[in-house]
Amino acid sequence: MNKTQKPVLVIGGGISGVTTAVEIAEVGKEVILIEKEPYLGGNVVKFNNYFPKLCPPTCGLEINFRRIKQNPRINYFTSTEVLEIAGEKGNFKAKLKTAPQYIKNNCTACGKCAKVCPEERPNDFNYGFTKTKAAYLPHEMAFPYKYVIDDEFCKKEACNKCAEVCEYDAINLSAKEEIKELEVSSVVVATGWKNYDASKIDNLNYSSSKNIITNVEFERFIASNGVGENKLLRLSDNTEPKKIAFVQCAGSRDENHLPYCSAVCCSASLKHALTIQELYPKSEIKIFYIDLRVSGRNEDFLAKVQTNKNIELVKGKVGKITETENNNLILEAEDILSGKKIKYEAELAVLATGIVPSNINIKLNKDSNQFMTDAQTEGIIPVACSRKPMDVSTSLKDATGAALKAIQ
Amino acid sequence: MNKKVGVYICSGCEIGKALDTEKLCQLASSEQNVAVCKSHKSLCSIEGFDIINNDIQNEEIEKVVIAACSPRAKTEVFDFPENILLERTNIREQVAWCMEPGEEDTQMAAEDYLRMAITKVNNINVPTPFIADKISSDILVVGGGITGITAALNGARTGYKVHLIEKEEKLGGWLNKLYKQIPSSAPYNQLKEIEIKEKIAEIESNELIEVHTSTIIKEISGQPGQFQVSLLNGSAETITVGSIVTATGWQPYDANKLPHLGYGKPNVLTNVEFEEFVKNNPKAELPKNILFIQCAGSRDKDHLPYCSGFCCGTSLKQATYIRELSPESNVFIVYKDIRTLGLYEEFYKEVQKDDQIFFTKGEIQEITEEGSNLKVGVKDTLIGDDISLQVDMIVLATGMVPNGTEDLNLKYRLGKGLPELKYNFSDSHFICFPYETRRTGIYAAGSLRAPMDIASSKDDAAGAMLKAIQTIEATKRGEAVHPRSGDKSYVDLYFDRCTDCKRCTEECPFGAYDENEKGTPIPNLNRCRRCGICLGSCPERVIGFADYSINSISSMIKSIDIPDEFEEKPRILAFVCENDAYPALDMAGQKGLKYSPYVRIIPVRCIGSVNKVWISDALSKGYDGILQIGCKPGDDYQCHFIHGSELTQTRGENIQETLETMMLEPERIRTEFIEITDYDKIPQIINDYVEEIELIGPNPFKDM
Amino acid sequence: MQCGNCSVVCSLAPENKPFPRKEMIWAGWGMKDKLIGNPDVWLCHQCGDCSTYCPRGVKPADILSAVREVSYQHYAKPKFLGKILSSPKWLPAAILIPVIIISAILYLAGTLQIPEGPVNYSKFFPHAWLNSSFTILWFLTIGLGVLGLRNFWNDMKKQNPELKITGSFFKNLFSNFKEIMQHSNFSKCSNQKSRKIAHVLVFYGFILLLIVTAFAIYAAVTHQYPLGLFNPFKVLGNVAAVMLFIGLTVMIIKRVTDKENYGNSSYADWLFLISMFLLTISGVIVETARFLNWSIAYHLYFFHLICVWFIIIYLPYTKFGHLLYRAVAMTFDKSVNRDYSKKNED
Repeated sequence: MNKTQKPVLVIGGGISGVTTAVEIAEVGKEVILIEKEPYLGGNVVKFNNYFPKLCPPTCGLEINFRRIKQNPRINYFTSTEVLEIAGEKGNFKAKLKTAPQYIKNNCTACGKCAKVCPEERPNDFNYGFTKTKAAYLPHEMAFPYKYVIDDEFCKKEACNKCAEVCEYDAINLSAKEEIKELEVSSVVVATGWKNYDASKIDNLNYSSSKNIITNVEFERFIASNGVGENKLLRLSDNTEPKKIAFVQCAGSRDENHLPYCSAVCCSASLKHALTIQELYPKSEIKIFYIDLRVSGRNEDFLAKVQTNKNIELVKGKVGKITETENNNLILEAEDILSGKKIKYEAELAVLATGIVPSNINIKLNKDSNQFMTDAQTEGIIPVACSRKPMDVSTSLKDATGAALKAIQ
Repeated sequence: MNKKVGVYICSGCEIGKALDTEKLCQLASSEQNVAVCKSHKSLCSIEGFDIINNDIQNEEIEKVVIAACSPRAKTEVFDFPENILLERTNIREQVAWCMEPGEEDTQMAAEDYLRMAITKVNNINVPTPFIADKISSDILVVGGGITGITAALNGARTGYKVHLIEKEEKLGGWLNKLYKQIPSSAPYNQLKEIEIKEKIAEIESNELIEVHTSTIIKEISGQPGQFQVSLLNGSAETITVGSIVTATGWQPYDANKLPHLGYGKPNVLTNVEFEEFVKNNPKAELPKNILFIQCAGSRDKDHLPYCSGFCCGTSLKQATYIRELSPESNVFIVYKDIRTLGLYEEFYKEVQKDDQIFFTKGEIQEITEEGSNLKVGVKDTLIGDDISLQVDMIVLATGMVPNGTEDLNLKYRLGKGLPELKYNFSDSHFICFPYETRRTGIYAAGSLRAPMDIASSKDDAAGAMLKAIQTIEATKRGEAVHPRSGDKSYVDLYFDRCTDCKRCTEECPFGAYDENEKGTPIPNLNRCRRCGICLGSCPERVIGFADYSINSISSMIKSIDIPDEFEEKPRILAFVCENDAYPALDMAGQKGLKYSPYVRIIPVRCIGSVNKVWISDALSKGYDGILQIGCKPGDDYQCHFIHGSELTQTRGENIQETLETMMLEPERIRTEFIEITDYDKIPQIINDYVEEIELIGPNPFKDM
Repeated sequence: MQCGNCSVVCSLAPENKPFPRKEMIWAGWGMKDKLIGNPDVWLCHQCGDCSTYCPRGVKPADILSAVREVSYQHYAKPKFLGKILSSPKWLPAAILIPVIIISAILYLAGTLQIPEGPVNYSKFFPHAWLNSSFTILWFLTIGLGVLGLRNFWNDMKKQNPELKITGSFFKNLFSNFKEIMQHSNFSKCSNQKSRKIAHVLVFYGFILLLIVTAFAIYAAVTHQYPLGLFNPFKVLGNVAAVMLFIGLTVMIIKRVTDKENYGNSSYADWLFLISMFLLTISGVIVETARFLNWSIAYHLYFFHLICVWFIIIYLPYTKFGHLLYRAVAMTFDKSVNRDYSKKNED
C-alpha cells in the first residue's frame, strides 16, 4: 500500500467540496480546496433553507468553516480555477489560476471601501435582482470574510477611492492574476451544478415576465436577507403576491430540454410552499406536477403539505404561461385526475428548473447528459452533482465517500 | 504559579472611535494586574501580530487575551504555538459595532468583557489531549450484504484491517437472491448482472479482511480505539477494534398485513418472492398478464408511512425481464407516483418504450378471484374511468423495514443499539452531516440508515467507512470528532464530590458514560464529543474541561462590575450558544444593528452546558436578568448536540419555579431559541428583554 | 408519462376532457373502442404542437392520425373497400376495380376503342354515360359513407353517455360552416403557417373544380360541350387546377422535408395526396392533349378517370373521408355543447 504523501486537490468549494475537504483533513491528510467564486459554500449559501427541516444552510456551513479554520491540514484558495490536470494517481500536476486579488487577505471587512466606491454592479448573490458596489462583501456569512472587488465594474487606479480610504493597506488595484502549479495525489471533482436555463423553455415565457422566476431565484426572493428584505415581493409592482404557482419539471423529464429528473425540485417546491405559508398563512399555493417525487422519510414532508388547505397539488404539467395586463400569470395545465384543462391565475409563478452539471476545462468522461461517469482516470473522483442530480444530504454522503476514495 | 497574561487591545475597525482603548489598557494593568497590556491600531496586521509574538518569545507570556474582532474572524492570523492559551474577547462585533460609540455604557461593556476574558484565562489551561495507550486501527463491519462488503473492501483498500461479520453461512445478503439488478450507469437501458460474486472473491483474496460468517455479536463494550467485541460462532472469541460500521440491512414489509391487496390469494406474490422465483426458475413459463401494485403497504399511514425508494425501480426491472423472458406477457403497473429520481428517469423512459407494459396511476379498489384469474378493480386512473383488470398474477411492490441495530449488543448504559431517528432507521438528523452518530465511532450504513437501493448503499458504505477511519485517527490524536473536530479537551470528573445521581449518564446525548455497580459514572473519553451537556447537568459541579469549567464561567460571571441599583443600569447576562446564536450576534454587529449595552455575553459550547450554579451565581452577583439563547429544539431540532436546547428548556422551567419559591420574578430567566440567520431578530430579543427587566426592577440581591 | 402537456399546448383541445392526453393512454392500453368512437381524434387538425412539445418525444399527432386511418376502415361499407385502400399491397386491386368498371361501362357504351379524328373525349366516353355512371356510383358510395357516419355518430353517443345532445343535426352541422370555410382552426396551429395556406388552396381549388364539373355536366346536358379555352368556366377550372397544384406541391414538399413538424406521413396520407396530385396533373394534361390533338389523349383520359375515381368514388374510404368524419365530429361536439365551439370564438 502506497500511502499518499501529496495533498488531495478538491475542485469546487460548494457544500460537497467543503465536506470532502474537511473529512479528508480530519482523517489526517493534507487537502487543497479551490473555488472559483470569492467565497466557499457554492449554491447552498444562496438557499433560504433546506428541506425537510426548513433549517438554514449557513448553520451547517458555520460548523464546516470552523472545522476548516481550526484544521491546519486544509489550504483553500478562492477565486481560483483549475486550468489543467496531468499525470496519474499519486502524482498529478494541477495548474491553477487565481483571479487578481485586488483586496488582500489582511482585509478586516470594516466596509470602508464599499462606502466610498462610486461604481455599482449587479449582485450575483441575488441573481442580479439587486445591486452592490464594485467593492463588496459577497454576502454576510461569506467565508473567507473579506471584501472583494469586481474586476468588470471597478475603474481601478483611475478611481482609487477605496485604496485611499483603506486603513490596512489591504487594497492593491494593480494586482494580477496568478498561476500556480501544484503536485497532488488525487483530484476530487466537486464542481456541482447550475440550474437549467429557463429561457429555453419558450412556452413558459420566463424571459418575458418579471413575475416568472426560477426555483433558485425564489430562494433569494423568500430569504429574509434577499431581494425583498424580509418580504416576498414580486418585481413587476413590488407587491406581496398572495397566489403563487409552482411549475414542476420545468425543462426536466423533457426530451426537448433535460431528459432526466433532477431529484430535488419536488422537495424544493414543497419546501417553498411551506415556507410561504409560514410567512403568509393566507396565501394560496398551487403546485403542478407530473409525479410527486420525494423519497424515504421525506414522505412525511409531503404528507405535511397535503394537510395544508392552502396548498393544492395538481397532477398535470404546465404547458403554457401567459402574462395578463396586470402582470398576473395564467398557467395552463390539464388537471389529469379530473380530465379538465385549467387556467390558473397566479400573481407569481415559480419554475422548478432542474440541475445541470457545471462544466470545467479538464478532460473527464461524461454521459450524454454531461454528468461525469464513474469511469475516470484512476485518482480522479467525481462527486455529488457532478455525477448525478441529488439533494444536499445525498451529496454529502457522496462527498464523505469520495473523501475515502481520495485517500486510498 | 500563575502563568503570565498578556492583553492586547485593537483599536482598528472603529473600535478606537467607539472605545477608549487606553483606559481599557489601564484597567487591565492596574485592576487586573496583567503582565503586559498593549494597544494597537491593527492587531491583525503583521506588525500587530509581531507585537504579541515578541511578547510570547521575550516576555514569557503564556496566556494571551486579544480584545478585538470576533474570534470567528482572523483565526488564521492569530496562530500561536500550541502551548499558548489564547482568549479572544469580541469588542468589535459585540461592542463597538452594536452599541453607541463613545458612550459610557459602551465603554463599560468593553471593560466588563476585558475583565471576563482575563478572569477566564486565569482559571483555565491549555488542554493536553488524552491519548489512550492501546488504540486499535482495526474496523468491525457488521453485515455481509452489499453494503458491508463494500465497506469492508473500502476499508481494506485504504489500508485498515477489517473484521467482517455475517450471521448467515455465506456473504452476499439480498444480492444472493436477485435475478438481475437495476441499471446503475448511463445509458440505463440494460439490466445489470448480479455483481456479488466478484466482490466476494475480492473479499476472500484480501489479506486485510477477516471474514466471520455464521457469527453474531454477543457484546460490544469500550470506546473508539478500544471496542471489545465478543463474537459467537460456535465458540466465543473476542476481538478489539477501533471503530464499527454496521450494515445489517432490511427485511421486506410483512405482506400478510396486506390482505386487501390480495396477499394470501393464489398467484399473489411480493416483489421479493417474485424475484426469488425467477432467480430459481429462470426457464419457468411466466403468466400472460401480470400486475404490479406499487406502494403495497408503503406511503400508507396504516403500514409504512415512508417511501422505500427502490420499489419503483425494482418493478420496472422485473417488468423488463418478464418481457425478455416471456415476450407474450403483458405487464400492468398501477402506481401512486413513479419515483425514478435522478438519472433513473432514463431507465423509466426505456421501459415505457415497451408497448406491452401498461402504466397508470390508480388506487386498487378490490381484488377478487375469478376462476384461475384475479380480477382487480382500479379507481382514480388516468384513463378517465375506473378500470377492471383480469390478470394471472399480482406482484406487490412492498417496501423495506430496517433490521435495527439491537444486535450490536452494545454494553452501553443508554441501550444495546444505535438511537433511531424515525421509523426505526438509524439515520442522522442533520442534513449537513449525514454520518452524525450518537454513538461515537459506530456508523450505520445502507438500508439500516435510510431506505436506499444498491447503488446508493454502496456510496453509503464508503462514507460510513471514512467516518470509521476518521474516528480512529482522531482518537489517536486525542481529538474530538465532529462537530467540535480537533478539540483536545476532555471531561474530567472530581469523583470525591460525585453523589452518583446519574444525571450525566442519562443526559449525555452520546452515551459517553457507563456506570459501575454503585451507579458511579465512568466516562469513556473517546466517546465524548466535548459538548459539556454533562457539565450543565451536574448538580454537584464535579464535571469540567481544562478550558471550560464551572469555575471558569462562574468566575467570569463574578468578575464584572455591577452598578448599584440607583445607577439604573441593569445588567443582563446572556449565555449564548457558540454554534448558531453567537455567529448571529456577530452578523447583527456587522450589519450595524444596535442593541442594549447592558447585556454581557458569555459564549457556551452548547446551551445545554449551562449549569444551574452559573444562574445562581449571576443572581447573587446582582445581574437583573439572565438570557439563554440556543438553537431550535423540537422535531426539527437544530441543536448540534441533539437535545441540549431541549434540556435547557426544561431546566429553565425548573429554575423559574425555584425563583418563585425565592420570591423572585420567574422572568429573571428567559430562554430563547433562534436560527443562525435570525441576526435581524436578535437585537429585538435582547432589547425587549432588557425593557422587561427594567420594568420589573432591579434584582433585590444586588449589593447584598 | 401522462403529464398532460399535449392537451395544454394544443390550441384546439377543449377545456373539458381535452385531447390528446387521454387518447394517448387509451392507445397505450389498446382501448380501441374508446378511440374509434371518439369525436376528439377528428377535432385534431394535426398541427403537431403536441408532438413538438411532448417531453417524452412521443408523437400524439401521429397517433391520432393513425386512429383516423383505422376509423376509415372501421366504418367502411362494404368493409373490403376500406381494406383495399389501407395498404400498398392492395393497391393493384384498388386500381383494378375502376379499370374494370370503367372498361365495362365503355364496353356497354360501345366505345371501347380509340376514336379517329381530332380529340373529342365524348366520342370515347359519351357524356351521358360518363355523367350518369359516375354520379350514380358517387351517390352510392356517399350513401354507404353516410351509413358509416351514422355508426360513428352512434358510437360517439355510446362513448359519452353523460353528454346530452341538443339542437338539430343539420343546424349544428351548418354552424360549423363558417369555421370550415375560414379554416380558423388551422390558424391556431402555431407550428406551421404553410399548412393553412396549402390546405386553403387545395380546399377551394377542389370546390371550384366541383362547381366547374357541375357546370360541365349541365353544359353536357345542354350540348354546349366541349367548352372553349376562354370559356369562363374553363378558365375557372384552370385556375382551380393551379391552386390545387400549388397547394399539393407545398404539402408534398413539406411532408418530405419537414418531418419534425409534419410528423411521419403514412400510406393513407400519400395515397390521398398523390391521387389528388395525379388528378390535377392528369386533368391539365388531358386538357392540353385535347387542344394539341395528342394521339395518346384517350389513354391519358382513361388514366384521369381512374384518378377521379380514387378521389370521388373512394372518398369515404380514403383520407379524403376526413371531410365527412371531421364535419360529423365537429357537429357532435356542437350538439353536446362542449366548449370546443366556444373556444373557437376566443
